[in-house]
Amino acid sequence: MTAISDRRQLAYVASQAAEARVNLELETEGMTLNIGPQHPATHGTLRIVAQLDGEQVIQAEPIMGYMHRGYEKLTEVRTYPQVTTLVNRIDWLGSFANEVPFILACEQLMDIEAPPRAQHIRTILHEMARMAHVTLFLGDLGVQLGAITPVFYAFRDREHILNQIESATGGRFHPNFDRIGGVKDDLPAGWIAESKQAVRKIRDFCNTIEDLLFGNEIFQARTRGIGVIPADIGLSYGLSGANIRASGVDWDLRRDNPNGLAYDKVDWKVWTHPDGDSFARSWVRLQEVREACNIVEQLLDTLPKGPIMAKVPRIIKVPEGEAYVSTENPLGEMGYYVVSKGGLTPFRVKIRTASFNNMSITPWVLKGTYVPDVITILASLYFILGDIDR
Amino acid sequence: MGLVPGLATGLGITFKEIIKTVVKGAETVQYPHEKEEPAPRARGVIALHEENCTSCMLCARECPDWCIYIEGHKELAPPRRAGGKPRSVNKLDRFDIDYSLCMYCGICVEVCPFEALFWSPEYEYSELKIADLLHDKTKLGKWMTTVPEFEAYEAGAEVKAKKVPALEKK
Repeated sequence: MTAISDRRQLAYVASQAAEARVNLELETEGMTLNIGPQHPATHGTLRIVAQLDGEQVIQAEPIMGYMHRGYEKLTEVRTYPQVTTLVNRIDWLGSFANEVPFILACEQLMDIEAPPRAQHIRTILHEMARMAHVTLFLGDLGVQLGAITPVFYAFRDREHILNQIESATGGRFHPNFDRIGGVKDDLPAGWIAESKQAVRKIRDFCNTIEDLLFGNEIFQARTRGIGVIPADIGLSYGLSGANIRASGVDWDLRRDNPNGLAYDKVDWKVWTHPDGDSFARSWVRLQEVREACNIVEQLLDTLPKGPIMAKVPRIIKVPEGEAYVSTENPLGEMGYYVVSKGGLTPFRVKIRTASFNNMSITPWVLKGTYVPDVITILASLYFILGDIDR
Repeated sequence: MGLVPGLATGLGITFKEIIKTVVKGAETVQYPHEKEEPAPRARGVIALHEENCTSCMLCARECPDWCIYIEGHKELAPPRRAGGKPRSVNKLDRFDIDYSLCMYCGICVEVCPFEALFWSPEYEYSELKIADLLHDKTKLGKWMTTVPEFEAYEAGAEVKAKKVPALEKK
């Protein structure tokens, strides 16, 4: 240990000590803030325990499971046609997108391929689910930032898409339309023309919301540079969907693995954004709705003739084996790992939902942010509670 | 970046919408005064065509939450031709659907091999007591009058259009 002889050095040490004393006097006790389980900004019953230092979050921990309904276990006592009813309710805003990967996994095990017309109808409804889902997100995003108007426009324009889903499938929210080997029923007459009108309305909504929200300076100030997720961190946490595309990773299951869906027959583009902040995540989703409009319009024009069901036995027994199929949900990668022992019911179903993995990054991304930004980051990460807890 | 252009555009959009609402009227359906027509395929309530039901129990077994209760017995009906053996016919004693449990999945309607169950888009049957949501066969039979005809299919479909059986006039 060397003695301090220099005067300037001594003065420096003394000033540091004085500052430390002042800091000690000013230091406040940390506060624990419970955001949720009953909080409008958590879209349901998510609880976030945040340790605060003043306005800053030191540590945040999401606590999930308030809405656990045990779907993985319930599928073991339901026959294969009954399972689609259950999985509709996982991500309730884009229900049809939940059925598709399960049905595809069963088809893979049974070695059946749906006819082209069924594949087209599936893809159309899948993209319509995405439109309805993300439209509401774009409106909801405004509410989280204090802008109330966009959500009314979102609810109004989402209705057109929901009406189309209802007139084709019979259910606004829970279509239960996908069957092993095809779809339940063919489209009613006049549906294609009506759908084109509904898609046009969604396009208009996208333009409106871009002017209303994305061009707004307050919105930009609140979202640009906030909640930045670099690509490598996002990948290591298993983010998927628009969240990882907003970090500049060009990854989309619709393009990379269009198993059993008609995405490879359409001309479309995967949108990415280099920034990885809240603004980028929202912007990528906005572009995705537009791209979904593109896909649906092209598919409606090229709907092939033919049957909608492959030859499937009346009582469905899936042969022994395992299959994992994942598709691009509105929220990200959704996959089903189906294990069959050859019976009427699945032996085990593991459901990989996008929100659960997207949620796991919150402790990392919320660290060091300020309390008002917590809400915007959570909103831009976009999760559905049913999708997290299932 | 100034604070004006984006905000002004946004306010312009809101103002346009206000004008549109004033001129064209609100988009909201004023529910108790005017009713919205759901799509003919909409799953509102299940109607029972009792004559077609053979109490085969398929719907009750396939129902994911077991909300259909069926009881029946066999009866001897007079033979079709003179001198033949009397036929045994399944008579329905009880056919209840508990709408407080129903998930509106439509599996029962789909599995019915005798076309006894149909979807009706009717939705106004809320009750003050939860027990009243158990609809018995007379109540389910009354819904048959609200069942719409099946729609024609879009061009290129190979599925045959189904028909709703004509109701017997009583």
